[in-house]
Amino acid sequence: MKENRGNIFLLIYTALFFIYMFVPIILIFIFAWNKGEGYNFPLQGATWQWFIELFRDGMAIKAIKNSIIIAVVSATISTLLGTALTFGIIKGISRYRVAFLTLLLLPVLMPSLTIAISALVFFRTISIPLGIPVVILSHVSISMSYVFLIMMGRIEGISLDIQEAAVDLGATWSQSFKDVIFPVLLPAMIAGWLFSFMISWNEFIVTYFLIGTEVTLPVYIFSQLRFGISPKVNVISVLITVFTLIIILILYFSTSIYKKIRAKII
Amino acid sequence: MSTLAKRNRNLIYPALAWFFIFFILPLSIIFIYSFTTDYLFAGKQVTFTLGNFLNIFQKKHYLVILLRSLKISLITTIFSIIFSYPIAYFLAKRTRFDKALIIMLMIPFWINYLIRIFAWKLILSENGIINQMLAGLHIIQEPLKMLYSQTAVILGLIYTYTPMMVLPLYATILKIDDSLVEAARDLGASPVQAFFDVTFKLSFTGIFAGTLLVFIPALGSFAIPIVLGGTDSVMIGNMIENQFYHVGDWNFGSAFTISLAVLSIVLVLFYSKIFGIESIYRNREF
Repeated sequence: MKENRGNIFLLIYTALFFIYMFVPIILIFIFAWNKGEGYNFPLQGATWQWFIELFRDGMAIKAIKNSIIIAVVSATISTLLGTALTFGIIKGISRYRVAFLTLLLLPVLMPSLTIAISALVFFRTISIPLGIPVVILSHVSISMSYVFLIMMGRIEGISLDIQEAAVDLGATWSQSFKDVIFPVLLPAMIAGWLFSFMISWNEFIVTYFLIGTEVTLPVYIFSQLRFGISPKVNVISVLITVFTLIIILILYFSTSIYKKIRAKII
Repeated sequence: MSTLAKRNRNLIYPALAWFFIFFILPLSIIFIYSFTTDYLFAGKQVTFTLGNFLNIFQKKHYLVILLRSLKISLITTIFSIIFSYPIAYFLAKRTRFDKALIIMLMIPFWINYLIRIFAWKLILSENGIINQMLAGLHIIQEPLKMLYSQTAVILGLIYTYTPMMVLPLYATILKIDDSLVEAARDLGASPVQAFFDVTFKLSFTGIFAGTLLVFIPALGSFAIPIVLGGTDSVMIGNMIENQFYHVGDWNFGSAFTISLAVLSIVLVLFYSKIFGIESIYRNREF
């Protein structure tokens, strides 16, 4: 009886928590379609006006384009580097494991602000102009750590025996890596790529300090937040959210498909 | 180690080079800045000094901001523990739908945090949702001023970072063996005693891991105080930006940044000393 009451309390508590988490987002969605500039109830009827205005806003379009470029390039570089790094550490180094883990965890656990400031000072000191390339360089060093986090567990699950077998049967090292290891890693690499993409796509602080005169989506949203809140921001939020949900779904399914493939191999 | 392992080892070098050039080297440069007197490599004479760090503690203005940031982050962390513990417990021990609920919990986390802060601006502002509701119910005549205050900043931070606390807590509580609780009950402990002596104590790892993931980013927060806070809620992050963009004192700004970095590194090392670094990895659910 007492157990039951506790359970009901926990259930209600959790439900309230989820409402707390989602109400702000639902509000944003509602006002993306609401007529009128203000955020007042009762609602004044639906409109696509804000969507149209967003797509007429040259700055917003440029921001979306820049964000996509930065996210795609940095995700690709960090997935390649991060995967090689993780495989090299897990399957090539037996000592100093803890030192590597601690070092690679720093970009994840340190406040982004310290990374932003140190990159800003670094690039200004060696006189490299701020802008998109510099942002990409810094995004890679952050998301590489996340790729490492994702790949570590999966690479630990792979037995080196299959690579050894390939070498015993006459494959060179690069053949064994390309034909045996790479296909096994590919699904996890896709997950890592999507994850890095999301990190970079959402990253604000490092971008804000390094972007110079250019603009990305988070930087654009920030400037809008500072100087008044047009319903266009709601529209961007809706678009980002839908886009995010699609990526999460892909990430989720690529993981479960990956697990099935792995179950067959091992 | 076999020759195969040696060839595999070569794979780490490109990434390590990248990591050192674009992460370690920049940190080292601001480290040097924080202990010197002028711009580096500008043809000027620079000398070693501790003045930048002493400045933080000597000028009342800076000390106030430092202590305020610590206070705000601490309150955020405490509330996020209080809020998330029952949820993490429920997810780990009392429901079969935990996997789906965790994915749901991650959705707001993935939506750009600026947008989530924006939502709070809509809710808290003078003609925002809360004021409209209260006025509609004739509870208040004048709109409440909630936005642009420390309370608003703390609310925003709690909202943004609580999911980061739920995840490691959930992962830790999930691993606690129920038979330990049963054993405690069989030996005469009340349910409350059994909970505090067994479950709660065993979930310390998760609480501490969550604290790392909440306290450190809260301490370094930058956008939330600008958007939701007023003049009384300037935090370290805003101070640092000010040093670099408006004051132009790189040495002092670097000292502040280095303090922030060192504090977070110390927390991480402290954690890895007690619980082992690998448990941070294990506790992260994506």
